[in-house]
Amino acid sequence: MTTPAQITYAEAIRRALEAAMTQDDTIILLGQDTALGFPFGVTRGLVDRFGSERVRDTPISEAATMGCGIGASLYGLRPVVEVDFSGFLLLGFDQLVNNAAKLRYMSGGQLRVPLVVRVGQGPLGSFGAQHSQALHGWLANVPGLSVCTPGSPQEAYDLMRWSLRQSDAVIFSEDVRLYRTKGTVEVHDGEVELGARVVRRGSDVTVVVYGHGVGMALDVAGELSREGIDVEVLDLRWVAPLDVAAIGASTRRTGRAICVSDDPLLGGFSATLATAATEQARGSLRAPVARLSGRHAPAPYNADLERSVFPSHASLASAVRVIVGWEGDS
Amino acid sequence: MAIAVSDLGTRALNLELYRRMALIRQFEEVAYRCYEAGEIKGTIHASIGQEAVAVGISAALHETDLVFSHHRGHGHALAKGVDPTRLFAELLGRANGVSGGKGGSMHATDTSVGFLGSLAVVGSSIPLAVGVGLAAKVRATGAVAVVFFGDGAINQGVLYESMNLAVIWRLPVLFVCENNGYAISVRSSYATGGAGLVQRALAFGLDARQVDGQSVTRVTELATEVMARVRDGQAALIEAVTYRLVGHSRGDPAHGLYRSKEEVLKWKERDPLTVHAAATDLEESDCATIEEEARREINSALQTSRGYPPPSIGDAMSDVWGP
Repeated sequence: MTTPAQITYAEAIRRALEAAMTQDDTIILLGQDTALGFPFGVTRGLVDRFGSERVRDTPISEAATMGCGIGASLYGLRPVVEVDFSGFLLLGFDQLVNNAAKLRYMSGGQLRVPLVVRVGQGPLGSFGAQHSQALHGWLANVPGLSVCTPGSPQEAYDLMRWSLRQSDAVIFSEDVRLYRTKGTVEVHDGEVELGARVVRRGSDVTVVVYGHGVGMALDVAGELSREGIDVEVLDLRWVAPLDVAAIGASTRRTGRAICVSDDPLLGGFSATLATAATEQARGSLRAPVARLSGRHAPAPYNADLERSVFPSHASLASAVRVIVGWEGDS
Repeated sequence: MAIAVSDLGTRALNLELYRRMALIRQFEEVAYRCYEAGEIKGTIHASIGQEAVAVGISAALHETDLVFSHHRGHGHALAKGVDPTRLFAELLGRANGVSGGKGGSMHATDTSVGFLGSLAVVGSSIPLAVGVGLAAKVRATGAVAVVFFGDGAINQGVLYESMNLAVIWRLPVLFVCENNGYAISVRSSYATGGAGLVQRALAFGLDARQVDGQSVTRVTELATEVMARVRDGQAALIEAVTYRLVGHSRGDPAHGLYRSKEEVLKWKERDPLTVHAAATDLEESDCATIEEEARREINSALQTSRGYPPPSIGDAMSDVWGP
């Protein structure tokens, strides 16, 4: 049963929710403006199909909403909690980190938390510092949480279907820059294969990347191929669990790696990626493994300043040129 | 562990309530001794003096109702029906402790009796009960979610977010505040502005009452009364005024630091076991027999759990996540 169509990233998530909710009546949605589908249209129309018992608007009470989702997941429901921007996730962080991530462990395996938290991440463009954060590294650092990071409409569909079959809490990280991105999506009910994917084969350097960065890296790879540089792009798909083996395999093949994340350099997730590449490809490296991260500043409002803070097409292309042209420290 | 309303006031029920409180008292005293001897690691928080709240509330619950507790949770666990041996084994970090030795005193869970667990971040378990209430409503299971919290949680914002959700969605949730007067050393009367928790809860639309938490009869009666409406979706709050007759944990004595000896002695006269025996005319010999049985049961629980094996080192990495 396949229905290939050009749809947006937001619509792909909506279709995955709709298909899963049709098959599994324990799935409920909790969030602000979820019935209306505001602000990105991801849940639009679902209340008409499934009713307000299952598609529930919540008050602006992020901590209790998160806790409520966790509690409901302990007693036979599969809630999807929506958090429009990751800055707001912080109000629910106690619940997420102390409860969702740890209940299975602390109970010696008696409890399960089949909860999906949809959270918008990254800079939407001049929304200012509190709406434009990338907390992937923080989330990946919490044992017990899975964090998936779809970078295309197809991945968004697949990973949401995967998320809604797990028995532990999943952070479904939606890159807000991608909501309107279109792509072909094959709608299906099948299993979703875990792990990272090489989305472009190349021989000179591996760009290790996720979310919005995947499309950016593919664009950069296309451009640099005209300069004779052959870039491999590895889409992680998940930052937790992290496919260390795939990072190693690709980096060993190309001998070079650039690890990209939107969060700030200090303590940023690209450090974890770079460590994985370095350890896994020891002896095969032709250049030091490089990191391309956000700069150590909150996201500024001014569009030019904002672009200067996050990894960009230009900064990635420049990093690739430096690493591929590397001839030693002298 | 539920009781029938018609049993209220009968000698059989009076003896049973005494028995349940005595069991908790024994458990706490023996656990505390093991803790002081270094056999129990980390920290524990004894509920000595607060037994009537755990027993009275739980007496009004059905087996299928679901309970959350907090860091001072041994009494709630036992009152809901957790096996004392497996609870002791958990405190000793054994593989067949209720949580496999990975939760400990502050995170004991036993889903087989509807004890969904103790959580140690103050107020943190409150919204979980709201979620269980939501699932109970959506799935029409008829269960009620109950959450115990201390007065330390009265000024946590998530309490009020949670009360509000329970009211707007008409969820079967019972909020139980054990107000023992102190959050470690900080007096509840100092920390709480306005007219207090019951008035706050009433303003949120809950059925809210205060009760003498040293009287197991009063707590049982009130809990039984409100539970009927809670089950129909009228969220309720019970503030049980109680007292811990011991320190918060090992770091503080029962008196001398932030409570006077006179104050503690005054509350010792209101020990819930003594209060219950006097109020219901239990004979001294009845009480002594029950206490001796409780001593035997808890000592046996301790001896048995001491013989249990520790978890294997590999268990450190199990139950993190999985299928």
